[in-house]
Parts: sequence; C-alpha cells; structure tokens
Amino acid sequence: MRLSATPGWVCNDCRRSFASSVRAQQQQQPASSQHVRQDEKTTHFGFDTVAENLKASRVAAVFSSVASNYDTMNDLMSLGIHRLWKDHFVRSLNPGIRPTASAQPQGQKILDIAGGTGDIAFRMLDHATNINRDTQTSVIVSDINPEMLGEGRKRFSTSPYQAAGRVSFMEANAEQLDQVESSSIDLYTVAFGIRNFTHKQKALEEAFRVLKPGGVFACLEFAPNLNNLLMNAVYKRWSFGAIPLIGQIVAADRDSYQYLVESIEKFPSQQEFAGMIRQAGFLLPGQGPEDEGVKAGWEDLTMGIAAIHKGVKPA
Amino acid sequence: MASLTTLRNSLRAPVSLHPFLLQNSTPRALYHSYEHDLPPPYRNPEAAILSSALAHVPNHGFTTIALTLGARETGYLDISSNLFPKGAFELVKYHLVTQRLGLKNRLQFPDEGRLGVGRKVRSLILSRLQANVETGVVGRWQEALALMSLAENIPASLRELSALSDEIWFLAGDVSVDSSWYTKRASLAAVYAAAEVYQTTDTSTGFRDTEAFLDRRLEEVRTIGGAVGGTVEWAGFQAGAVVNLMRSKGLRI
Repeated sequence: MRLSATPGWVCNDCRRSFASSVRAQQQQQPASSQHVRQDEKTTHFGFDTVAENLKASRVAAVFSSVASNYDTMNDLMSLGIHRLWKDHFVRSLNPGIRPTASAQPQGQKILDIAGGTGDIAFRMLDHATNINRDTQTSVIVSDINPEMLGEGRKRFSTSPYQAAGRVSFMEANAEQLDQVESSSIDLYTVAFGIRNFTHKQKALEEAFRVLKPGGVFACLEFAPNLNNLLMNAVYKRWSFGAIPLIGQIVAADRDSYQYLVESIEKFPSQQEFAGMIRQAGFLLPGQGPEDEGVKAGWEDLTMGIAAIHKGVKPA
Repeated sequence: MASLTTLRNSLRAPVSLHPFLLQNSTPRALYHSYEHDLPPPYRNPEAAILSSALAHVPNHGFTTIALTLGARETGYLDISSNLFPKGAFELVKYHLVTQRLGLKNRLQFPDEGRLGVGRKVRSLILSRLQANVETGVVGRWQEALALMSLAENIPASLRELSALSDEIWFLAGDVSVDSSWYTKRASLAAVYAAAEVYQTTDTSTGFRDTEAFLDRRLEEVRTIGGAVGGTVEWAGFQAGAVVNLMRSKGLRI
C-alpha cells in the first residue's frame, strides 16, 4: 500500500514540494493500464474513485498491512475509546440465553462479519458465558482478509472457547455468504467493517437472508459528521491532520490511515444508513407506525463519532 | 413551480377525486379528530411482543426477563428484545398507553348528563386504577414507578401522566377554554399520581382505602381551589383599589 517516495518537483521560490499530483498520476496509471471502460461502474476508495471490482483488493491490501497492529491502530485513532464502544455494543445486545427451568439450553448462533481479529466475538462469548450463564452460544468469525482471520485464530487459540468448539473462522465476502444457510443466524454483527464494503445494500440483503425471523442485525460504525458543528470542526482537524501523522510515525504507514479517515468521510449519515437498513426489510427499533422517514433508529456514541444501528428481521 | 400547477389542477378537480391528495395512508393530525381514529401507537410486532410480555409481569415483574418470555411466545427470538432500546421501561409505557387509550371503552356515561363533571372525573380515575388491578400489575407497580423515575425516563413518564390527565378531563366533558384548563389538568395529574402510589401499598378488600384516599384528595382540591380563587379575587380587588386611590391623588396611571 505504500507508494515509492518520489517527491515530485520542488518550487524554487517557495520551497513547497508538489507530491500529490504525482500520487494522482501514479494511481491513475494502474487504473488506465487495466483499461477501465467508460461504462464500467466505479465506487469510492477513500477520496479516490476506483473500479468496483478493484475496491475489494485495495481494501484487502490496507488490512493486510495493518493486521498485525490493528489494536494499536484503533487505540491511536480513537484514543482507546473504541474499547468502551465495543463493550457498550455487546452489553446492549445482551447475547446469550438465560437458562430457565422450562427451556432446554439451545445457545445462539452469532455471525460476526469483518471481525477478523475477534474483538467483538470474544466479548460476545464472555458476556454470554459469564453474565447470562449460557455455555452453548457460538460465534462464527468471518472476514474477507486471511491475515485478519489469522490474528483472530491466534487470539482464540489459548481461550476455552476454542477448546469447547464455540468459535469457528470463515473466510468470506459479506456480500455473498454462500457458506451460511438462510435463516440460521440469531445475531449478525459488523463492527467497523461495513464502511469498507463495496456494495453495502447487498451486504444488508445477505444479512437479511441469513438471519432467522426475529434475528437481529447490529452494526457499530463511525459516522461521517458529529451532531455539534463546533466539535465537528475540531474532530475533522484531528481526523485528517493528526491520524495520518500518527500512522506515519508509529506504524510507518501513512496511506492506510489516510484511507481509513477518508472512508469514514464517505460513509452515509446515520439517517441514510438507517434508511438502507429499513430498505433491506428490517424493523428499526424506536420507530412508531406513523413515522414515514427515519428519525431515530440508531444510537450515537461519543457525540456522534460512532453509531450503533440495529434492525430486527420480522417474524 | 410544476408542483404548484399540479396542486391547483388537483384542487380544481371534482370532489370525488380529492382522496389522492392525501399522500399518507394514515394521516396524522395534530389535533383530536372525531372523524378519524388515531393510528395505533405501536407497530404490530412490538404490540404483539409487549402484550404477551405483560402477561408475564405478575410472575417476573417489569424486567427484561418478561420481555424475552414475551418475545419467545410470539414467535420471535430472545435476541429480539433488542427491538426495545429502553428495555423494561417500554413495557411500563405500553401498559400506560394501552390503558389510557382503553379508558373510553372501559367507562361510558349515558347521555342524560345528570352526573356532574366532578363525579365523572372520580369514576374515571377509579376505573383507571381498577385497570391496574385487573391486568395484575398492581403487585409489581412499585417496580414500574422506580423505572419511571429514572432520569432518562422522566420526560416520557411525565408526558404519559399529562396525557392521561387530559384524557380523563376530556371524557368527563370538560369544555373550559381559559387558564383553568391548565390548572385542572395539573391538579388531576397530581391527585392521580398520589392515588396510584397509595394503591401499591393498599391491602384492604376491594381497594376501599384507595377510594377513600382519592375522595380526600379531591376534597382538598376543591377546598384549596376555592381558597386560592378567593385569595386571587381579593388581591385583584385590593390592586384595583390602590390604582384608583393613586388616580384620585393625581397620579396618571
């Protein structure tokens, strides 16, 4: 993902170097060399525009390069708050079936999409086991990137869940989950992954297909804008100014961090995204029968930096 | 501008074609309409889950356990309780909303109009309190009061209480259009809230003590209302007298 360090040309009067135009040329050259036709569909990759069939491989390249220090990257981007977000996400979902005298223990099947390193999966299993005393619930960790899945396998290798067979790993594209049967999943989660998908609506439709009636779709994702305008300005300065710089200094990988910040900017707003979830057929919590548009079907976290979207498949 | 001409043309159309002007299938007016019913307050899936969860409240209380049992019974999963972001409070709110909307069906007054408004109000309050007993929640109502008093739930709870107070006055036939509209609803809300709290501690047969408590509170409202009204009238006369005195002394007011 790192480009060769050609500085472009340097102006002799003002001493500024113009590297960005070179970057643009270099990025256009590979695309044109692969003969992008005028009518071929394009999508965004951060602020760049790429052919749709190329986006998945570009995203894969970003995540392959950050897989080994993914946690560090998250800690730096969110100043450690991502741990609070993930804890709140899992607690509010409350996975696990509380054992009662009458019901036989069945356990829930959770599918964690784009959850390669296993952050959310671990929390889900801990919550189900320790809070709800449910030892049957299992998680399928799915990711398109084998390096991220490798990190997840490493993390789970020493845990009791691996030994009990409550976690499995699946390399799959969320837009086409052929390996998962329809109506077989209780809870479908995707945390900080959906903004990287090429076709979000297709992924939502696949989620609708694999969920059982009554199953829950839950998505934790960054939002493009904060609610408060002043804080939004501060946040944008931090995002575009500090984060790529931190990436360069700490991980020597400025471009991955730049892509991640740009991809947040391109993600639809909470209202639009909730509309997409509703369009896929889900019921949004907190909506009355007379609500025509989507006014509140999500929960903002930390003034709107991230948001939790939930949808329930009608029974 | 095309939309304006379309609107004008549609208004010029015969009356029988006007229905297509209504864009929404269930128009929602901001005022109370005698012709059109209000749309149902809950969507079908939520109403189904909440009503079967309410049946479990006498055994499990106003908790998420009752919600998950209700979800299981209506063909949903345990995880479907995520449909209710406020958890057990939504169960409380469902009870409050359905009982308020059902009050007009519980108690109807014959049209002769021999009962005064005050007596009708008393009957309506007693009917609403009786509904708590009939649905079996009165034994668990202290949990509901605790949930309603949580900071994030207070606005919704107060809104429900004022809506109930308004509903009771409306059904009793109140037609006031002055500031007494507000004072009546405020005093009724306070009386009802006090009576409901008292009812949770009442162990007498047929909740007689609650009825007596209610009568005492309504009597107090009458007495204090009369006293406050009299004081305001006295103060008004005094102010008028002072103004006239000043004018007689030459002050231009």
